[in-house]
Amino acid sequence: MTSSALTRPGQRERLPVKFSEIDWRLAGLTCVIAGVGAMMLYSVAGGNWEPWAAKHLLRFGACLLVMLSLALVDIRVWMTVAYPVYGVALLLLMAIEIPGVGYTALGATRWLNLGFTRIQPSEIMKLALVLALARYYHGASARDARFSWKLIIPLAMIGMPTLLVAHQPDLGTAMLLALTGLAVMFMAGLSWRIILTGLTAAAVAIPPFVMFVLHDYQRQRVLTFLEPEKDPSGSGYHIMQSLIAMGSGGLLGKGYGLGTQSQLNFLPEKQTDFIFATVAEEFGFIGCVTVLIVFGLIIATCLRIASLSHSHFGRLAAAGVTATFALYVLINGAMVMGLAPVVGVPMPLLSYGGTVMITVMIGFGLVQSVRVHRYMELPKGRGLF
Amino acid sequence: MSGPSIFFEDVNERQGGFLRRTFLLGGFAGIGLTALTARLAYLQTLQTSRYRSMSAENQFNLRLIPPPRGLIKDRNGVVLAGNRPSFRLLVIRDETKDLDTTLDEVAQLLPATAARRRTLLREINQSPRFVPVAVATDLTWEEFARVNLHAPQLPGVMADVNEARFYPFGGAFAHVVGYVGKVTDRDVEKVKKSGKDVDPILMHPGFRIGKQGVESALDEELRGTPGVQRVEVDATGRQVGEDRDNGEPPQPGAEVVLTLDADIQMRALEVFGEESGAAVVMDIHNGDLLCLASSPSFDPNAFVGGIGSKLYRAYSEYDHKPLLDKALTGTYPAGSTFKTMVALAALESGISPHKTRSCGGAWRFGNHVFHCDKASGHGTVDMHKAIVTSCDVYFYQTALEMGPDIIAATARKFGINQIFDIGIGNQKKGVLPDRAWKKRAFRRPEDQIWYPGETPSFGIGQGALAVNPLQLCVMTARLANGRKALNPRLIKSIGGKERPAGSAVPDLPISADHIDIIRSAMADVANDVSGTAYRAAQLGLGPIKMAGKTGTAQAHSITSGASRATLHLEWERRDHAWFIAFAPYDAPRYAITVLVEHGGWGAGAAAPRAREIMRTTLLKDPAIIRRIQATGATVEAPPPIDDSEGSGLPEAPTLVGAQGRTAAE
Repeated sequence: MTSSALTRPGQRERLPVKFSEIDWRLAGLTCVIAGVGAMMLYSVAGGNWEPWAAKHLLRFGACLLVMLSLALVDIRVWMTVAYPVYGVALLLLMAIEIPGVGYTALGATRWLNLGFTRIQPSEIMKLALVLALARYYHGASARDARFSWKLIIPLAMIGMPTLLVAHQPDLGTAMLLALTGLAVMFMAGLSWRIILTGLTAAAVAIPPFVMFVLHDYQRQRVLTFLEPEKDPSGSGYHIMQSLIAMGSGGLLGKGYGLGTQSQLNFLPEKQTDFIFATVAEEFGFIGCVTVLIVFGLIIATCLRIASLSHSHFGRLAAAGVTATFALYVLINGAMVMGLAPVVGVPMPLLSYGGTVMITVMIGFGLVQSVRVHRYMELPKGRGLF
Repeated sequence: MSGPSIFFEDVNERQGGFLRRTFLLGGFAGIGLTALTARLAYLQTLQTSRYRSMSAENQFNLRLIPPPRGLIKDRNGVVLAGNRPSFRLLVIRDETKDLDTTLDEVAQLLPATAARRRTLLREINQSPRFVPVAVATDLTWEEFARVNLHAPQLPGVMADVNEARFYPFGGAFAHVVGYVGKVTDRDVEKVKKSGKDVDPILMHPGFRIGKQGVESALDEELRGTPGVQRVEVDATGRQVGEDRDNGEPPQPGAEVVLTLDADIQMRALEVFGEESGAAVVMDIHNGDLLCLASSPSFDPNAFVGGIGSKLYRAYSEYDHKPLLDKALTGTYPAGSTFKTMVALAALESGISPHKTRSCGGAWRFGNHVFHCDKASGHGTVDMHKAIVTSCDVYFYQTALEMGPDIIAATARKFGINQIFDIGIGNQKKGVLPDRAWKKRAFRRPEDQIWYPGETPSFGIGQGALAVNPLQLCVMTARLANGRKALNPRLIKSIGGKERPAGSAVPDLPISADHIDIIRSAMADVANDVSGTAYRAAQLGLGPIKMAGKTGTAQAHSITSGASRATLHLEWERRDHAWFIAFAPYDAPRYAITVLVEHGGWGAGAAAPRAREIMRTTLLKDPAIIRRIQATGATVEAPPPIDDSEGSGLPEAPTLVGAQGRTAAE
């Protein structure tokens, strides 16, 4: 297929052509991570496909199909649904706040009971926020994005869901939302003056925030991560056991299926948030670095896709999804390594758990769509409709 | 598709800015991943050894294996306290689906557990979730098989075999050997108070420690050394695997051999029947205690698993006091057996054995009339006759002549008022009254004076005097030995190491001639027709004869001297019956003391029992058998002693009939 053929009008709209434009390297890398995840889940279940590994693979297979389907969705459709999806997600987040509507578990009201299933609006919001911000900046001028009173609009778009999620309370997701939003603002070209002022303000504000605003259990988590050995049986236990698992893995690890910390249940949440510690225990430093390199390649691939897009919406949407993904990896990594408080952020594609996998894979579907439609130039105004 | 609304300048600026920021975002992500890698490198290379050891600490636990408790045997190797396999049913709370339904199902298998349900629930809930709790112990083989058959369908229920302490002789050795029981908080406190480290095996569920007797006194020797096993555990502490290469097997506790002879001890318990009292037999060559029995006894096996409150109350409320060790802890007036000491004191203080006194049945001293047991009087009596007929008047007067101090000093040399180091505690010293004792024992000055009126009672072993049966047996043994201030020995060896014999002691500071005078009088007590125990003390072993002394000790004060026979009185008001003896009388080898609490009188209740126990003792000695056979005599059947139905000996006093009653004691 020559480039001249592709320049013919309508040629790019053909499905087989679109299909061939999908970034198969990105798809392959996600398969690698999900495969490693299934392998680790098989190991921590004591060499069993049940209860996690088989389900993990099945889910990933389904999500992969979703990603490939979404890749073919016209970028203008994405742009069109951006605001409505954000609006619906915001409404759902508010609905949770109405007593009796939200479903409470483990002391946090995060779910909406639909009768046949429960959904977590904050998960929808992760992508909705990226879409909405990309949509907004697509229409905004460079000056508006850099330094203008209009910055209040994206800030409000980030602030509203963040505060609602923080109130549930779900500190991890709220932080993720805020950081993702700020990352999109940054990519859109936010003035360095504002960035530096903001960072300074945050540095000043965080200690009092930790002391006075956080819930007790949240403060506990923040404080114990600083000194996990002080409270080895209480909230420091998670971090200590994770550190023991990782450290005892050494350079080459204890061997597949031989991680005592995870096999004997010393490692809490070994199949979800702390799956990376199991990788560290059984495959050691070499295994961990390999996994991190794969994650790095995924991020790099996504950023390259973002940079190749001809539309500002596509660039920002892909970059926003990449930022979300990178934040997942970095926050989870820092958490299991004792560099950040235990906030309940899983390792994407590696950890067991459907919600995050769906979010991430829909996100990658968006990224793929951006790649497939990279030559498409979009008007500043509305989307398709 | 491109519309005119796009300003190219703006597009270019936005695109250029975005590219720069993309590199920055990629850079940030790269920095983040690098930081994680650096942290990993730190944890997984520099800190590995530290975390490896912490991981191993998590993974492995040291588990103690209780050692088999040392056996306690008699001198011939008969096991007095052993270990037997006990089939148990255990419940592990963590593995049950629902504790309540599990207990329901267990109750269907073993109906007995239904009654203890509340206790069991509390016990199980107080233990850690993964620790097996014994719900039923000592299952029969049939029950054990039934549980094993159904256990696979009952998660959290399992059956196993452990070792339980077992006392094959039941109550026969209960007071000496004691028993083991659960470790209580108080036991742990006691160890802490003594400044020692608390052995972690004490915390082991199901572990037992000695609570009484030898089990308690030699607990540490019997306990052994717990084995250690390295086991792999999971986060909840449940064992998931064993590490067979590391660890040590338990070292069983030391075997303790007692000087007791099970046959003699059993015979003693047998002749006591339901009667209350004590019997002590000593080998007078080496001080070995061959019998140290207290009757009635209790079943120590009932204490091993924790005694029920109902049974315990029955034991403690029974007026025959089965829990009391009457041989060591019970103290009683010595009665006429003490006349041997008074006579010896008289000889030592220079009073001639031929000095005669006149007995008219009563003797007035001051404004008090002291009665003799024979109301008609013994007439003219010298020392020999006084001992043989147990004339009280002779000893009232002799005691008064000497004063209390010399009597007490002599008795002390023979072991009265002493506590012997036989390896177990619980010995009561009793009271040996003299002037110094009164000063110590009383606060008010007028009470601290020894009044002459107290001396006559002391002379017949009454008054404040209180001795325990072991002391009287030591006294008899020292008289019989004649030379050595013999000490009793109960623990023959511990872990194969022999303990010093009771004969490794200095000589008695008493003239051998004087002792001979007492001994010949004692021989006539048992063998002369005028002796108080003439009928009751006949062994029927040809040339082997006993020498002894009867005693009847007042258990209550006599209000009238008219009748001192107390057999018609209710049980707890009757006199205590004593008999001390040694045999053979011509070449002493064994000494015996028998106390029958509220037995009525010595010759009737105590002497026949002493004779039976002594016969058993003698017939176990090959040297004695050879002597009997050398003279061509045959071993006669003993006079009927326990052929009365049921309770054995309560009727025994009637056996000696009228002849015994005429003789004063």
